[in-house]
Amino acid sequence: MIDKPSVDWFALSPVLALLGASGIALLGAVLMPRRVRGPFAATVVALGFAGALTAAALVYAFTDEATSIVADAVRRDRFAALAQMIVAGCGLLAVGISYGGRRGGRVEAGERSDRRTASGGPLFGQVADVTSEYYALLAAAGAGMAFLVSANNLMTLFLALEWFSIALYILCAIDVDRIASLEAGLKYLIIGSFGSGALLFGSALVYGATGELGFAEIARVQAAQGLADDPLLLAGLAMIITGLAFKASAAPFHMWTPDVYEGAPTPVTAFMSAATKATALLLMLRLLTTAFPEQEDLWTIAVAVIACASLAIGNLAALVQRNVKRMLAYSSISHAGFMLIPIAANNALGGRALLFYLIPYAAMSLGAFAVVAARERELGEPVTLDNLSGFGWERPLLGIAMWVFMLGFAGLPLTGGFWGKFLAFSAAQDRGWTWLVIAGVAATVVSLYYYLAVVRAMYMRSGAELQLSGTASSVAAGGSPPREALLSLSVVAALIVTVGTFFAVDPVTELARDAAASLPF
Amino acid sequence: MMGPEINAYLILAAFLFATGALGVLIRRSPLIVLLSLEIMLNGANLALIAFSRRFGEIDGQIFALAVMAVAASEVVVGLGLIVAMARRHLDLDVDKLTTLRG
Repeated sequence: MIDKPSVDWFALSPVLALLGASGIALLGAVLMPRRVRGPFAATVVALGFAGALTAAALVYAFTDEATSIVADAVRRDRFAALAQMIVAGCGLLAVGISYGGRRGGRVEAGERSDRRTASGGPLFGQVADVTSEYYALLAAAGAGMAFLVSANNLMTLFLALEWFSIALYILCAIDVDRIASLEAGLKYLIIGSFGSGALLFGSALVYGATGELGFAEIARVQAAQGLADDPLLLAGLAMIITGLAFKASAAPFHMWTPDVYEGAPTPVTAFMSAATKATALLLMLRLLTTAFPEQEDLWTIAVAVIACASLAIGNLAALVQRNVKRMLAYSSISHAGFMLIPIAANNALGGRALLFYLIPYAAMSLGAFAVVAARERELGEPVTLDNLSGFGWERPLLGIAMWVFMLGFAGLPLTGGFWGKFLAFSAAQDRGWTWLVIAGVAATVVSLYYYLAVVRAMYMRSGAELQLSGTASSVAAGGSPPREALLSLSVVAALIVTVGTFFAVDPVTELARDAAASLPF
Repeated sequence: MMGPEINAYLILAAFLFATGALGVLIRRSPLIVLLSLEIMLNGANLALIAFSRRFGEIDGQIFALAVMAVAASEVVVGLGLIVAMARRHLDLDVDKLTTLRG
């Protein structure tokens, strides 16, 4: 018998469910008749995400003590399980948002904004049917994220990060007949790989300083050998933080975000803004607290500075945007700032705050982009504040939902965003960093302006203007706008989570507290 | 047999990484940019392998092998995108990718 590491299949089951769904969806692309490919792939991947959600919930329930599994490459704990539940939930909603736009191989009809197609002609004679591949890549990206949040050494970290990043590069560029989509894919690839390169070189330096790749071992060697001020280690730490900040789209590493969020297909943007940010931030929290407790006084300051920069740049740039997707991209940069505040606080309350905040944030972000996607399919052009007018009256459900999401982003009561910001600020206050709380509150006040601008655009227009913009275009597109049951269902689900986390704050905080307890604070 | 000290490897690795980073920042052809990204990753690989030899452990080298596989798949996606753009007769120049801005 050969010695082999014991593999805890149960703990890996969320990742395996998603990988399985991805594989089956890909097989469906060649085995199923053309007409049912789209629905088949969507169903399989939705089941995969639902399965991953259930599996992660079970892992959460049956994991009392954190353990390292699979030759210490992966950590099994409640932190990872809760993070996997968030990722799987995001994926499930993303499938619902995608479905209407990708039915029967038709590429996002609403998004073909550039007219330059005529010069080059269609790419492959006709637009290739990539529906199955789209859903397969979505599941593969989800699997990579679910793997990343349980990473326990630098190698697993890098591989999982690239795993979901490469899937996302393709997803961004999947509408090859749209120049904006290709451009978004290439920009994301170049800048994303630049960030990964920095992360990898940082990992190599940390390995060189300590001789270890595992998070806990890195901390142990540092403590044992007094390496806290080793220049190699500090350079490595700085590069790793840079690499992760690229993924979380925190300023000043955010340059790609507005372009990629605008150019990528809207459902992909929705998934990226929620799930990528969540996993990158959660991993940052795990890595910094587990592997670098010795440099605590350095990285807390660094993270706080990045948080302030993100708040300032995200909010100020969002003020002048007319394109709603771009505005939401800058808003997501500022939210990276809000969620870096609890990481900078580096206490148990901060861990709880981050995990709590991510749940309503993910729901609001997916929901807001879903509403944008609905409007985009109706109009056939990019959504701006101008052509959003009257939307609230035409589609009451989506209008009210968007209203709630915007108020939630701003952190007003009756949405989970309120408690998220409240907990994040309390964590900073606990550490004694009142200046960080003040920066956060100031950013919140500024953000109200552009969030309310969306609500104003949707409702506060006279009847005459309403006739001109909204209704006229949908008539031109041929009758009433398409009603998409699945998209509306996703929006309602996001709405329930957003509002639910306000009223059910105690049970959700308990979940987050138990999950954060697996990290060494 | 003794090779150069670890510092020599580290300096070369840092030089490669910096060359790659500079290439990504200043070159305009997406092909050269992809090439520069590879040089960055290989700088990191060299550092990993050198440290791995110094510690007499194998894990750094395994890491470097895995990175090579990842880098290859990244290039495949990048080249695919460049081919798709070339078929659309777009200029292969990252400074002219300005459909998205604001």
